[in-house]
Amino acid sequence: MKFTPNVKVRREKRGSVLFDTLREKVFVTNETGARIVEGIEAGLSPEALVAQLSAEYDQPAEVIEAEVRRFIESLRSNGIALTEET
Amino acid sequence: MLDPAMSTVAENPIGIDDLESPLFIAWQITSLCNMRCHHCCEDSAHLMPNEMNRSRVLDLCRQIADMSIPYVAVSGGEPMLHPQFFDVCRFFRSQGIALKVETNGELVTEEATREMARLGLRSVQISVDGATAATHEQLRLKGRWQDAIDACRRLVAAGVRTEIVFVPTKFNIHETAAVIDLASSLGVYGIYTGKLMRIGRAAKNWQALCPSDAQYEEFFRVLRQKTHQYLGRMKVYYYPYDVIEELRVRVQSPSASLLVIPDGRVKLIGPLPFICGHLAKHSLREIWDRYRKAWRLPQVRDFVAQVLAEPSLVSRANDWIELY
Repeated sequence: MKFTPNVKVRREKRGSVLFDTLREKVFVTNETGARIVEGIEAGLSPEALVAQLSAEYDQPAEVIEAEVRRFIESLRSNGIALTEET
Repeated sequence: MLDPAMSTVAENPIGIDDLESPLFIAWQITSLCNMRCHHCCEDSAHLMPNEMNRSRVLDLCRQIADMSIPYVAVSGGEPMLHPQFFDVCRFFRSQGIALKVETNGELVTEEATREMARLGLRSVQISVDGATAATHEQLRLKGRWQDAIDACRRLVAAGVRTEIVFVPTKFNIHETAAVIDLASSLGVYGIYTGKLMRIGRAAKNWQALCPSDAQYEEFFRVLRQKTHQYLGRMKVYYYPYDVIEELRVRVQSPSASLLVIPDGRVKLIGPLPFICGHLAKHSLREIWDRYRKAWRLPQVRDFVAQVLAEPSLVSRANDWIELY
Protein backbone atom coordinates (compact mmCIF):
# COMPACT_ATOMS: atom_id res chain seq x y z
CA MET A 1 0.00 0.00 0.00
CA LYS A 2 1.43 3.38 -0.95
CA PHE A 3 0.58 6.86 -2.12
CA THR A 4 0.81 7.72 -5.79
CA PRO A 5 4.14 9.26 -6.79
CA ASN A 6 2.78 12.79 -7.06
CA VAL A 7 1.26 12.86 -3.60
CA LYS A 8 3.42 14.62 -1.02
CA VAL A 9 2.69 14.11 2.64
CA ARG A 10 3.52 16.58 5.35
CA ARG A 11 2.82 16.41 9.07
CA GLU A 12 1.19 19.48 10.54
CA LYS A 13 0.23 20.51 14.05
CA ARG A 14 -3.30 19.13 13.84
CA GLY A 15 -2.99 16.31 11.35
CA SER A 16 -1.40 15.89 7.99
CA VAL A 17 -1.59 17.46 4.58
CA LEU A 18 -1.69 15.29 1.47
CA PHE A 19 -0.83 17.37 -1.57
CA ASP A 20 -1.54 15.82 -4.95
CA THR A 21 0.91 17.94 -6.90
CA LEU A 22 -0.28 16.63 -10.27
CA ARG A 23 -3.91 17.59 -9.79
CA GLU A 24 -2.85 20.48 -7.54
CA LYS A 25 -5.36 19.41 -4.91
CA VAL A 26 -4.80 19.58 -1.18
CA PHE A 27 -6.32 17.11 1.24
CA VAL A 28 -6.13 17.31 5.00
CA THR A 29 -6.56 14.72 7.70
CA ASN A 30 -7.13 15.11 11.38
CA GLU A 31 -4.72 13.79 13.98
CA THR A 32 -6.02 10.24 13.90
CA GLY A 33 -5.88 10.19 10.12
CA ALA A 34 -2.31 11.41 10.36
CA ARG A 35 -1.38 8.39 12.46
CA ILE A 36 -2.75 6.10 9.76
CA VAL A 37 -0.93 8.11 7.08
CA GLU A 38 2.31 7.69 9.01
CA GLY A 39 1.76 3.96 9.11
CA ILE A 40 1.15 3.87 5.37
CA GLU A 41 4.29 5.91 4.76
CA ALA A 42 6.23 3.47 6.92
CA GLY A 43 5.08 0.71 4.59
CA LEU A 44 2.76 -1.04 7.02
CA SER A 45 0.06 -3.30 5.64
CA PRO A 46 -3.54 -2.65 6.74
CA GLU A 47 -3.20 -5.60 9.11
CA ALA A 48 -0.01 -4.25 10.66
CA LEU A 49 -1.59 -0.82 10.92
CA VAL A 50 -4.54 -2.26 12.78
CA ALA A 51 -2.24 -4.12 15.14
CA GLN A 52 -0.21 -1.00 15.85
CA LEU A 53 -3.19 1.25 16.43
CA SER A 54 -4.94 -1.38 18.56
CA ALA A 55 -1.92 -1.38 20.82
CA GLU A 56 -2.01 2.41 21.07
CA TYR A 57 -5.72 3.04 21.41
CA ASP A 58 -8.07 1.59 23.92
CA GLN A 59 -10.46 0.25 21.31
CA PRO A 60 -11.42 -3.26 20.16
CA ALA A 61 -9.41 -4.46 17.18
CA GLU A 62 -12.53 -4.80 15.02
CA VAL A 63 -13.36 -1.14 15.59
CA ILE A 64 -9.85 -0.09 14.63
CA GLU A 65 -9.89 -2.37 11.59
CA ALA A 66 -13.16 -0.94 10.32
CA GLU A 67 -11.83 2.56 10.83
CA VAL A 68 -8.55 1.90 9.02
CA ARG A 69 -10.34 0.28 6.09
CA ARG A 70 -12.82 3.15 5.89
CA PHE A 71 -9.98 5.66 5.92
CA ILE A 72 -8.02 3.84 3.23
CA GLU A 73 -11.13 3.64 1.08
CA SER A 74 -11.58 7.38 1.55
CA LEU A 75 -8.04 7.96 0.34
CA ARG A 76 -8.76 5.80 -2.71
CA SER A 77 -12.06 7.48 -3.51
CA ASN A 78 -10.39 10.87 -3.30
CA GLY A 79 -7.89 9.81 -5.94
CA ILE A 80 -4.95 9.85 -3.60
CA ALA A 81 -4.69 6.39 -5.04
CA LEU A 82 -3.34 3.85 -2.75
CA THR A 83 -2.34 0.72 -4.53
CA GLU A 84 -2.35 -2.70 -2.96
CA GLU A 85 0.92 -4.43 -2.39
CA THR A 86 1.15 -8.00 -3.48
CA MET B 1 -6.67 9.39 23.89
CA LEU B 2 -7.55 10.02 20.30
CA ASP B 3 -10.81 8.61 19.09
CA PRO B 4 -10.00 6.42 16.06
CA ALA B 5 -13.57 6.80 14.85
CA MET B 6 -12.70 10.37 13.99
CA SER B 7 -10.10 9.77 11.28
CA THR B 8 -10.99 11.80 8.22
CA VAL B 9 -9.53 12.88 4.94
CA ALA B 10 -11.12 15.59 2.86
CA GLU B 11 -10.23 18.01 0.10
CA ASN B 12 -9.80 21.27 1.85
CA PRO B 13 -8.17 24.59 1.05
CA ILE B 14 -6.42 24.63 4.39
CA GLY B 15 -6.01 27.95 6.17
CA ILE B 16 -2.53 29.40 6.04
CA ASP B 17 -2.46 29.84 9.81
CA ASP B 18 -2.73 26.07 10.19
CA LEU B 19 0.37 25.40 8.13
CA GLU B 20 3.95 25.44 9.37
CA SER B 21 5.25 26.42 5.94
CA PRO B 22 4.00 27.03 2.39
CA LEU B 23 2.85 24.18 0.19
CA PHE B 24 4.00 25.80 -3.02
CA ILE B 25 6.68 28.19 -4.23
CA ALA B 26 6.29 30.01 -7.53
CA TRP B 27 9.81 31.11 -8.34
CA GLN B 28 10.50 33.57 -11.14
CA ILE B 29 14.17 32.76 -11.26
CA THR B 30 15.12 35.42 -13.81
CA SER B 31 13.53 38.27 -15.68
CA LEU B 32 15.79 37.65 -18.65
CA CYS B 33 13.91 36.40 -21.69
CA ASN B 34 14.71 35.63 -25.30
CA MET B 35 11.25 36.78 -26.36
CA ARG B 36 9.27 40.00 -26.06
CA CYS B 37 5.72 38.73 -25.86
CA HIS B 38 3.06 41.44 -26.12
CA HIS B 39 0.98 39.68 -23.47
CA CYS B 40 3.75 38.91 -20.95
CA CYS B 41 2.39 39.39 -17.45
CA GLU B 42 5.89 40.03 -16.11
CA ASP B 43 7.19 42.50 -18.69
CA SER B 44 10.17 40.19 -18.97
CA ALA B 45 13.08 40.94 -21.29
CA HIS B 46 16.23 42.00 -19.46
CA LEU B 47 17.82 41.00 -16.17
CA MET B 48 16.23 42.66 -13.17
CA PRO B 49 18.71 44.71 -11.10
CA ASN B 50 20.21 42.62 -8.31
CA GLU B 51 18.92 39.24 -9.42
CA MET B 52 20.03 36.59 -6.96
CA ASN B 53 23.50 35.22 -7.52
CA ARG B 54 24.46 31.55 -7.43
CA SER B 55 25.03 31.53 -3.70
CA ARG B 56 21.66 33.11 -2.93
CA VAL B 57 19.87 30.86 -5.42
CA LEU B 58 21.26 27.73 -3.85
CA ASP B 59 20.56 29.07 -0.36
CA LEU B 60 16.91 29.53 -1.31
CA CYS B 61 16.83 25.96 -2.59
CA ARG B 62 18.13 24.73 0.75
CA GLN B 63 15.59 26.80 2.68
CA ILE B 64 12.77 25.38 0.59
CA ALA B 65 13.93 21.86 1.32
CA ASP B 66 14.49 22.59 5.02
CA MET B 67 10.91 23.84 5.30
CA SER B 68 9.57 20.64 3.67
CA ILE B 69 7.85 22.61 0.93
CA PRO B 70 6.58 19.89 -1.41
CA TYR B 71 6.08 21.66 -4.73
CA VAL B 72 7.96 24.34 -6.69
CA ALA B 73 7.32 25.92 -10.09
CA VAL B 74 10.29 27.58 -11.74
CA SER B 75 9.49 30.24 -14.32
CA GLY B 76 10.86 33.52 -15.57
CA GLY B 77 11.44 35.37 -17.85
CA GLU B 78 12.79 32.31 -19.55
CA PRO B 79 14.06 30.11 -16.70
CA MET B 80 16.32 28.01 -18.89
CA LEU B 81 18.45 31.11 -19.54
CA HIS B 82 19.42 31.14 -15.88
CA PRO B 83 22.95 29.78 -15.40
CA GLN B 84 21.91 27.65 -12.41
CA PHE B 85 18.69 26.37 -13.94
CA PHE B 86 19.66 22.72 -13.99
CA ASP B 87 21.49 22.96 -10.65
CA VAL B 88 18.21 24.13 -9.14
CA CYS B 89 16.24 21.37 -10.85
CA ARG B 90 18.69 18.70 -9.72
CA PHE B 91 18.67 19.94 -6.15
CA PHE B 92 14.89 19.96 -5.85
CA ARG B 93 14.54 16.52 -7.37
CA SER B 94 17.28 15.15 -5.14
CA GLN B 95 15.12 16.27 -2.22
CA GLY B 96 11.96 14.67 -3.61
CA ILE B 97 10.34 18.03 -4.26
CA ALA B 98 7.81 18.08 -7.11
CA LEU B 99 9.01 20.47 -9.79
CA LYS B 100 7.22 22.17 -12.65
CA VAL B 101 9.16 24.14 -15.25
CA GLU B 102 7.41 26.88 -17.23
CA THR B 103 9.31 27.66 -20.42
CA ASN B 104 8.82 28.95 -23.94
CA GLY B 105 10.54 25.79 -25.15
CA GLU B 106 13.22 27.44 -27.28
CA LEU B 107 16.02 25.95 -25.19
CA VAL B 108 14.53 22.49 -24.79
CA THR B 109 17.23 20.80 -26.81
CA GLU B 110 17.75 17.05 -27.11
CA GLU B 111 20.28 17.22 -24.29
CA ALA B 112 18.02 19.32 -22.06
CA THR B 113 15.16 16.93 -22.75
CA ARG B 114 17.24 13.95 -21.66
CA GLU B 115 18.12 15.70 -18.43
CA MET B 116 14.50 16.67 -17.77
CA ALA B 117 13.45 13.08 -18.34
CA ARG B 118 16.16 11.81 -16.02
CA LEU B 119 15.10 14.21 -13.28
CA GLY B 120 11.46 13.09 -13.31
CA LEU B 121 9.90 16.53 -13.32
CA ARG B 122 6.27 16.91 -12.32
CA SER B 123 5.84 18.58 -15.71
CA VAL B 124 7.25 20.94 -18.25
CA GLN B 125 4.85 23.61 -19.45
CA ILE B 126 5.42 25.03 -22.91
CA SER B 127 3.76 28.23 -24.10
CA VAL B 128 1.95 27.76 -27.40
CA ASP B 129 -0.17 30.75 -28.34
CA GLY B 130 -1.48 29.71 -31.70
CA ALA B 131 -2.28 26.77 -33.91
CA THR B 132 -0.17 28.36 -36.62
CA ALA B 133 3.25 29.95 -36.70
CA ALA B 134 1.80 33.25 -37.90
CA THR B 135 -0.54 33.62 -34.92
CA HIS B 136 1.95 32.43 -32.31
CA GLU B 137 4.76 34.63 -33.60
CA GLN B 138 2.54 37.69 -33.89
CA LEU B 139 2.19 37.60 -30.09
CA ARG B 140 5.50 36.08 -29.08
CA LEU B 141 8.06 38.42 -30.64
CA LYS B 142 11.34 36.63 -31.41
CA GLY B 143 9.63 33.32 -30.71
CA ARG B 144 9.40 30.48 -33.21
CA TRP B 145 6.24 28.38 -33.14
CA GLN B 146 8.06 25.43 -34.68
CA ASP B 147 10.59 25.45 -31.85
CA ALA B 148 7.81 25.27 -29.27
CA ILE B 149 6.12 22.42 -31.13
CA ASP B 150 9.41 20.56 -31.55
CA ALA B 151 10.06 20.96 -27.82
CA CYS B 152 6.69 19.39 -27.06
CA ARG B 153 7.43 16.50 -29.41
CA ARG B 154 10.85 15.88 -27.88
CA LEU B 155 9.56 15.98 -24.33
CA VAL B 156 6.62 13.69 -25.05
CA ALA B 157 8.89 11.23 -26.85
CA ALA B 158 11.24 11.22 -23.86
CA GLY B 159 8.40 10.48 -21.46
CA VAL B 160 8.39 13.90 -19.80
CA ARG B 161 4.92 14.95 -18.68
CA THR B 162 4.30 17.90 -20.97
CA GLU B 163 1.65 20.58 -20.74
CA ILE B 164 0.78 23.41 -23.10
CA VAL B 165 -0.18 26.85 -21.84
CA PHE B 166 -2.34 28.97 -24.11
CA VAL B 167 -3.08 32.62 -23.29
CA PRO B 168 -6.06 34.06 -25.18
CA THR B 169 -5.92 37.51 -26.72
CA LYS B 170 -7.81 39.22 -29.52
CA PHE B 171 -5.17 37.89 -31.90
CA ASN B 172 -5.37 34.18 -31.13
CA ILE B 173 -8.59 33.42 -29.29
CA HIS B 174 -10.20 32.22 -32.52
CA GLU B 175 -7.64 29.39 -32.62
CA THR B 176 -8.50 28.01 -29.18
CA ALA B 177 -10.12 24.83 -30.51
CA ALA B 178 -7.34 24.29 -33.01
CA VAL B 179 -4.65 24.69 -30.34
CA ILE B 180 -6.38 22.12 -28.14
CA ASP B 181 -6.61 19.70 -31.05
CA LEU B 182 -2.94 20.36 -31.80
CA ALA B 183 -2.07 19.62 -28.17
CA SER B 184 -3.87 16.31 -28.44
CA SER B 185 -2.10 15.42 -31.67
CA LEU B 186 1.22 16.12 -29.93
CA GLY B 187 0.31 13.68 -27.17
CA VAL B 188 0.76 16.13 -24.31
CA TYR B 189 -0.65 15.46 -20.88
CA GLY B 190 -2.78 18.57 -20.73
CA ILE B 191 -3.48 22.10 -21.82
CA TYR B 192 -3.95 25.03 -19.47
CA THR B 193 -5.66 28.31 -20.23
CA GLY B 194 -7.69 31.10 -18.69
CA LYS B 195 -8.38 34.76 -19.12
CA LEU B 196 -5.57 37.16 -19.98
CA MET B 197 -4.19 38.90 -16.88
CA ARG B 198 -3.95 42.68 -16.84
CA ILE B 199 -0.41 42.74 -15.48
CA GLY B 200 3.01 43.62 -16.85
CA ARG B 201 3.30 44.13 -20.60
CA ALA B 202 -0.22 42.79 -21.07
CA ALA B 203 -1.50 45.74 -19.03
CA LYS B 204 0.37 48.19 -21.26
CA ASN B 205 -1.17 46.59 -24.35
CA TRP B 206 -4.53 45.91 -22.77
CA GLN B 207 -6.80 47.67 -25.24
CA ALA B 208 -5.15 45.95 -28.17
CA LEU B 209 -5.06 42.52 -26.55
CA CYS B 210 -8.07 41.99 -24.32
CA PRO B 211 -10.72 39.81 -25.96
CA SER B 212 -14.30 41.07 -25.99
CA ASP B 213 -17.01 39.60 -23.79
CA ALA B 214 -18.44 37.85 -26.86
CA GLN B 215 -15.05 36.34 -27.67
CA TYR B 216 -14.67 35.10 -24.11
CA GLU B 217 -18.17 33.63 -24.21
CA GLU B 218 -17.23 31.63 -27.29
CA PHE B 219 -13.84 30.76 -25.73
CA PHE B 220 -15.45 29.15 -22.70
CA ARG B 221 -18.04 27.37 -24.85
CA VAL B 222 -15.18 25.83 -26.83
CA LEU B 223 -13.36 24.87 -23.64
CA ARG B 224 -16.42 23.12 -22.23
CA GLN B 225 -16.86 21.22 -25.46
CA LYS B 226 -13.19 20.25 -25.70
CA THR B 227 -13.06 19.21 -22.06
CA HIS B 228 -15.82 16.74 -22.82
CA GLN B 229 -14.26 15.66 -26.12
CA TYR B 230 -10.89 14.83 -24.56
CA LEU B 231 -12.15 13.47 -21.26
CA GLY B 232 -9.88 10.65 -20.12
CA ARG B 233 -7.36 11.31 -22.89
CA MET B 234 -5.97 14.77 -22.25
CA LYS B 235 -6.56 17.20 -19.43
CA VAL B 236 -8.17 20.43 -20.60
CA TYR B 237 -7.83 22.71 -17.64
CA TYR B 238 -9.15 26.24 -17.58
CA TYR B 239 -9.61 28.71 -14.80
CA PRO B 240 -13.04 30.22 -15.38
CA TYR B 241 -12.48 33.39 -13.38
CA ASP B 242 -10.48 36.48 -14.11
CA VAL B 243 -7.80 37.91 -11.90
CA ILE B 244 -10.29 40.15 -10.09
CA GLU B 245 -12.37 37.18 -9.04
CA GLU B 246 -9.17 35.46 -7.95
CA LEU B 247 -8.37 38.41 -5.68
CA ARG B 248 -11.88 38.40 -4.25
CA VAL B 249 -11.34 34.78 -3.18
CA ARG B 250 -7.72 35.11 -2.10
CA VAL B 251 -8.23 38.03 0.24
CA GLN B 252 -10.61 35.80 2.19
CA SER B 253 -8.62 32.62 1.77
CA PRO B 254 -4.98 33.24 0.86
CA SER B 255 -3.24 30.33 -0.78
CA ALA B 256 -0.36 28.55 0.95
CA SER B 257 2.13 29.76 -1.61
CA LEU B 258 4.86 32.33 -1.99
CA LEU B 259 5.84 34.12 -5.19
CA VAL B 260 9.59 34.77 -5.34
CA ILE B 261 10.78 37.29 -7.93
CA PRO B 262 14.28 37.26 -9.43
CA ASP B 263 15.92 39.66 -6.96
CA GLY B 264 14.72 37.64 -3.97
CA ARG B 265 11.77 39.75 -3.00
CA VAL B 266 8.57 37.86 -2.25
CA LYS B 267 5.18 39.05 -3.44
CA LEU B 268 1.86 38.36 -1.78
CA ILE B 269 0.31 37.29 -5.06
CA GLY B 270 0.87 38.14 -8.73
CA PRO B 271 -2.00 40.63 -9.19
CA LEU B 272 -1.09 42.71 -6.10
CA PRO B 273 1.91 45.05 -5.82
CA PHE B 274 2.80 44.14 -2.26
CA ILE B 275 6.18 42.75 -1.22
CA CYS B 276 6.08 40.91 2.10
CA GLY B 277 9.75 40.08 2.45
CA HIS B 278 13.19 40.05 0.89
CA LEU B 279 15.46 37.02 0.94
CA ALA B 280 18.46 39.32 1.25
CA LYS B 281 17.14 40.41 4.63
CA HIS B 282 14.80 37.68 5.86
CA SER B 283 14.81 33.93 5.98
CA LEU B 284 12.10 32.13 4.04
CA ARG B 285 10.54 31.09 7.33
CA GLU B 286 10.38 34.72 8.45
CA ILE B 287 8.84 35.66 5.14
CA TRP B 288 6.18 32.97 5.56
CA ASP B 289 5.21 34.56 8.89
CA ARG B 290 5.17 38.01 7.30
CA TYR B 291 3.08 36.70 4.41
CA ARG B 292 0.45 35.32 6.75
CA LYS B 293 0.24 38.58 8.67
CA ALA B 294 0.29 40.72 5.54
CA TRP B 295 -3.09 39.51 4.33
CA ARG B 296 -4.65 41.01 7.44
CA LEU B 297 -3.04 44.44 7.02
CA PRO B 298 -5.52 47.27 6.35
CA GLN B 299 -3.20 48.53 3.58
CA VAL B 300 -3.63 45.25 1.71
CA ARG B 301 -7.31 44.79 2.35
CA ASP B 302 -8.08 48.38 1.39
CA PHE B 303 -6.14 48.06 -1.85
CA VAL B 304 -7.93 44.84 -2.74
CA ALA B 305 -11.25 46.58 -2.09
CA GLN B 306 -10.16 49.37 -4.43
CA VAL B 307 -9.19 46.88 -7.14
CA LEU B 308 -12.49 45.07 -6.81
CA ALA B 309 -14.25 48.41 -7.31
CA GLU B 310 -11.93 49.53 -10.11
CA PRO B 311 -10.36 46.49 -11.83
CA SER B 312 -7.98 48.59 -13.96
CA LEU B 313 -5.94 49.20 -10.78
CA VAL B 314 -4.62 45.66 -11.08
CA SER B 315 -2.36 47.02 -13.83
CA ARG B 316 -0.25 48.50 -11.00
CA ALA B 317 0.63 45.01 -9.77
CA ASN B 318 4.25 45.38 -10.81
CA ASP B 319 4.66 48.82 -9.16
CA TRP B 320 5.95 47.10 -6.07
CA ILE B 321 5.17 48.35 -2.58
CA GLU B 322 7.19 47.11 0.39
CA LEU B 323 5.01 46.21 3.36
CA TYR B 324 6.20 46.73 6.94
